[in-house]
Amino acid sequence: MTAFRIPGKGRIDHARPVRFTFDGRVVEGRAGDTVASALLANGIHLMGRSFKYHRPRGAVTAGSEEPNALIRTARGRGRAEPNTRATMQEIHESLAAESQNRWPALAFDVGAINDGLYMLFSAGFYYKTFMWPRSFWDRVYEPLIRRAAGLGRAPTDPDPDLYASRNLHCDVLVVGGGPAGLAAALAAARTGAEVVLVDEQAEIGGTLLSEPHLVIDGQPAWDWLAAALAELGAMPNVRLMPRTTAIGYYHQNMVGLCQRLTDHLADPPADAPRERLWRVRAGQVVLAQGAIEKPLVFDGNDRPGVMLSGAAQTFLHRFGVRVGRRAVVVTTHDSAWHTAFDLAAAGVRIAAIVDLRPGVDGALTARAAALGIEGLTGHTVTDTRGRLRVSGVRVNPVADGRVGPGRIVPCDALLMCGGWTPSLHLFSHTRGTLAWDEASGAFLPDRKTEACQIAGAGRGLWGVAAALEDGAKAGAEAAAAIGRATAPGTFAVQGDRPGTGLVVRELPTDADPGRAKAFVDFQNDVTAKDIRLAVREGMRSIEHVKRYTTTGMATDQGKLSNINGLMIAADALDRPAPEVGLTTFRPPYTPTSFGALAGYRRDGHFEVTRKTPIDPWAEAQGAVFEPVALWRRARYFPRPGEDMDAAVARECRAVRTGVGMFDASTLGKIEVVGPDAVTFLERMYTNPWAKLGVGRCRYGLLLGEDGFIRDDGVIGRLAPDRFHVTTTTGGAARVLSVMEDYLQTEWPDLDVWLTSTSEQWAVVAVQGPKARALLAPFVQGLDLSEAAFPHMSVAECTVAGFPARLFRVSFTGELGFEVNVPARHGRALWETLWQAGQAHGIAAYGTEAMHLLRAEKGFIIVGQDTDGTVTPQDAGLSWAIGKAKPDFVGKRSLVRPDIVAPGRKQLVGLLTEDPDVVLEEGAQIVADPRQPVPMRMIGHVTSSYRSGALGRSIALALVEGGHGRMGETLHVPMPGKTHAVRVTGVTFYDPEGARLKGEEVPA
Amino acid sequence: MTVHLPPLAEAGVTLTELPPAARFSLRLRPANRKAAAKGLGVALPERVGGIAEGKGRRALCLGPDEWQIDAAPGDTPDLPADLPHALVEITDREITFRIEGPRAMELLSIGIARDLRRLVPGTGCRTAFDGISAVLVREGEVAFTLAVWRSFAPHVRGVLEVGLRELASGL
Repeated sequence: MTAFRIPGKGRIDHARPVRFTFDGRVVEGRAGDTVASALLANGIHLMGRSFKYHRPRGAVTAGSEEPNALIRTARGRGRAEPNTRATMQEIHESLAAESQNRWPALAFDVGAINDGLYMLFSAGFYYKTFMWPRSFWDRVYEPLIRRAAGLGRAPTDPDPDLYASRNLHCDVLVVGGGPAGLAAALAAARTGAEVVLVDEQAEIGGTLLSEPHLVIDGQPAWDWLAAALAELGAMPNVRLMPRTTAIGYYHQNMVGLCQRLTDHLADPPADAPRERLWRVRAGQVVLAQGAIEKPLVFDGNDRPGVMLSGAAQTFLHRFGVRVGRRAVVVTTHDSAWHTAFDLAAAGVRIAAIVDLRPGVDGALTARAAALGIEGLTGHTVTDTRGRLRVSGVRVNPVADGRVGPGRIVPCDALLMCGGWTPSLHLFSHTRGTLAWDEASGAFLPDRKTEACQIAGAGRGLWGVAAALEDGAKAGAEAAAAIGRATAPGTFAVQGDRPGTGLVVRELPTDADPGRAKAFVDFQNDVTAKDIRLAVREGMRSIEHVKRYTTTGMATDQGKLSNINGLMIAADALDRPAPEVGLTTFRPPYTPTSFGALAGYRRDGHFEVTRKTPIDPWAEAQGAVFEPVALWRRARYFPRPGEDMDAAVARECRAVRTGVGMFDASTLGKIEVVGPDAVTFLERMYTNPWAKLGVGRCRYGLLLGEDGFIRDDGVIGRLAPDRFHVTTTTGGAARVLSVMEDYLQTEWPDLDVWLTSTSEQWAVVAVQGPKARALLAPFVQGLDLSEAAFPHMSVAECTVAGFPARLFRVSFTGELGFEVNVPARHGRALWETLWQAGQAHGIAAYGTEAMHLLRAEKGFIIVGQDTDGTVTPQDAGLSWAIGKAKPDFVGKRSLVRPDIVAPGRKQLVGLLTEDPDVVLEEGAQIVADPRQPVPMRMIGHVTSSYRSGALGRSIALALVEGGHGRMGETLHVPMPGKTHAVRVTGVTFYDPEGARLKGEEVPA
Repeated sequence: MTVHLPPLAEAGVTLTELPPAARFSLRLRPANRKAAAKGLGVALPERVGGIAEGKGRRALCLGPDEWQIDAAPGDTPDLPADLPHALVEITDREITFRIEGPRAMELLSIGIARDLRRLVPGTGCRTAFDGISAVLVREGEVAFTLAVWRSFAPHVRGVLEVGLRELASGL
């Protein structure tokens, strides 16, 4: 047992020692300890160095609001986390803890030189100090600041831990497991409502864990707590969640919870997630977050050994740890007197209780006197002594606003209390308004925006009896709001410690306040004089003061500092606090790991990757893939030794001279069915459909209302009332929703329905002069001859024994078929054709060859050769417009003055003067390369390839007035050289379309 | 083609990929609901989420004018040509998982935001799993089927498998 641990006291397991390391040294604690309580039990207060001045720091709190004791925790490779709060991390045998922001050692830190240079680091110093010379910024100041900024080291190894997510619905969510939260949960749960009670601590109980002397309903507090938890735990409608932080309160009563599952375990089970993010939708939320104790602001208030009085009380009662041997208490609130009495009873010598208030409750002073404690009312604290641990405190009398001479009181712990701030962070997330309460000197909840109740110390109440009653009332009101009325219970509490306090700014001092290191924000090293300086330099709003000084901007979001900062700023501005305002709290309530937010979305599940039924074959063949929307598609199929150009050239050659096959399964497919199907298509697409015969196909062009091209695809008529519509891969979902939108909002009278069949069918494209020869032997129930099944035909038949929809279409300019079979048969069909194709020298080709083949024919790709500002005329697709149709989507826009004006960018072909030059896609086009820079750009290259079939490069481009520039020479500036190009039509290969017929199969 | 995962009895739930049977999307105006039902041999529930069974077929109402018809392999429903409707086969569009066991609901809650307890056994709904559109049917007290489009199935199965291991871990 260590010197500061009290045998048998607290809620830790004294029989179970637990060893961990701190800065490499083995420290022994007890099961149930946090790192902070275990270190304190060993007399260690020094736990870290501050951010800016590298001042020695120790734990100032016992909870999640801790600004100082931030450590690095680790357990093996990749499992390291900086800035863990030592007051929250439970110890276990696998834990390695390290202090931060020090070099070479915690006790001797070179960076502490900043502390002596503190005059350089005043508020806004980085706006002033690093201004000149200008040239120093990039090379000297910024690298320096970047190295100095931030606490701790970010881990660099991949995080091997798992993180989980859940959705949860409940009637009542209670946030906070102190007396108010427990009473609320009991009241609501007893009505049968489904209740979730969360608490960020390892143990539910809140302040009851630190006040064992209380007697509630005749039971000692801890017995009452155990009974309450047992009752709640036994109810099937209740879920108790310790180690769970409500991190954010979102719209419509959704609350985000982060549950810590394994950080406290020495040997977590396999596959157990480290943390779980819960998205809770609650009928009613009860916020019972309690209050956070305020530090006092005085010179040297940050030395290790200076901590909040409530923290000392928690370390004593919950962990059985004395925070020192000889303590001084400095306070403006009654609660610290009780802490002093509890510590005295546990054997801590209380050297003095210093209270700024001239008079306090006589019962307190009498009790102090009885215990032999010097009660110094009307006194202030003006300085502390000690380096790595407080060794004394300077105490001065205050009378009539004047500070008298000081004396040093030796001590090894200084416990401070400046009153309590209601914790309203989650309420603030809802944009609920706060109102300043002059009496308590605190902001309290005012107007609510969500279905929530606020109970207990969180709305400014004081004392356990008040909290219990208020909690029960809130729980009953929450239950009533969901239709389960009940009467709130009552509680008999003995030993309650009602108290009052005084809200102050800096403590009065006889020293020069301009030299005082009186900290307001411990984590960001902001002092009272920084805030006063900010006001002197013109900051008026608390939001400006915050950003200028960085007070409240650390990871604790000013849980300790905001009200002190506000009171000091208000004083400097000579305005009332509510006029100066309070900064906004935002989620998360406490720092939350990226892992918890990412959940399952990591590695293979980072994003959905859609794959076709033929994808595994392509993968086995060594295909190189590219992402297209959420799909991955085979881009090319390199043979050993081939690069992309060589593979693509070979694939194209096979299609042009023999036969190639292509996985077109990702194409969007929509089945348009109903008596009004043809009317619907007439209205949606530019083309005419009424006269399209059953068994025939047509290219369809879809515009937006603005007349610009949105999508295209081949549409086949399977029956008078049934069309098989194809869309681009990336446009599939968008086109369906646009169609549904028109159908439901504009033409609800049409009897036509749309069904996505994109994934019903696997599609194998067979293209090339020998396509018919390959396919014909497998087709049953259909004559594939040119006469019987000409270009742009569709039929239902059987292919290789599978039911199929067979299209005769071509995106390559060669004889082509697209075989649609039910998706489960896609791979079998593919492999059958692949085997049979070997005799024809078949090649599988990917999207790259497909792009090249269509570019040789001048077929556009929507989104590559169009950019949302291209009309059918611009693209040279006027032929696709049904001139006689009364209307279609976008028709009226096609006659707008700007759309018919000359000079629009139009799609043309470009041939470089040097046939070996392949232009860069996206390259700009100019008319005259000798004009001064910046040149006038008249267009850009949209597609560009080296064509094997043509033995030269080809390109498509959008050029101003392009259709009128045929034969003109234009210029394309590229890195190193400007290339001359000749404007041509877009069809480079087989302009007559003779190849569409392919080779007839010999009879 | 039923895929059984390694035994994860501790998870309290099993995940099975069901073999394809026959599935159709049926669309028609609510006024023609009863006439269509006569032809199908199965009632078309009026209430969204409702399920009816008959003649080896099952109809799940997914919208005021939309039903999912499940049938035996090879069974193709036929409706009178003069009844305006759209019947489209979607058997191969989808992969259906069966999730069954005391902790089935807990497993599904990793990806589905809606309150699954309020989904009455014998009803279904269109919902989203991990952002992916899905049709969920509560087949029994602790049994669900979840149908997603084919190319999304590996992602859904992968996330569910992580969830199964998570449930088995006991934390």
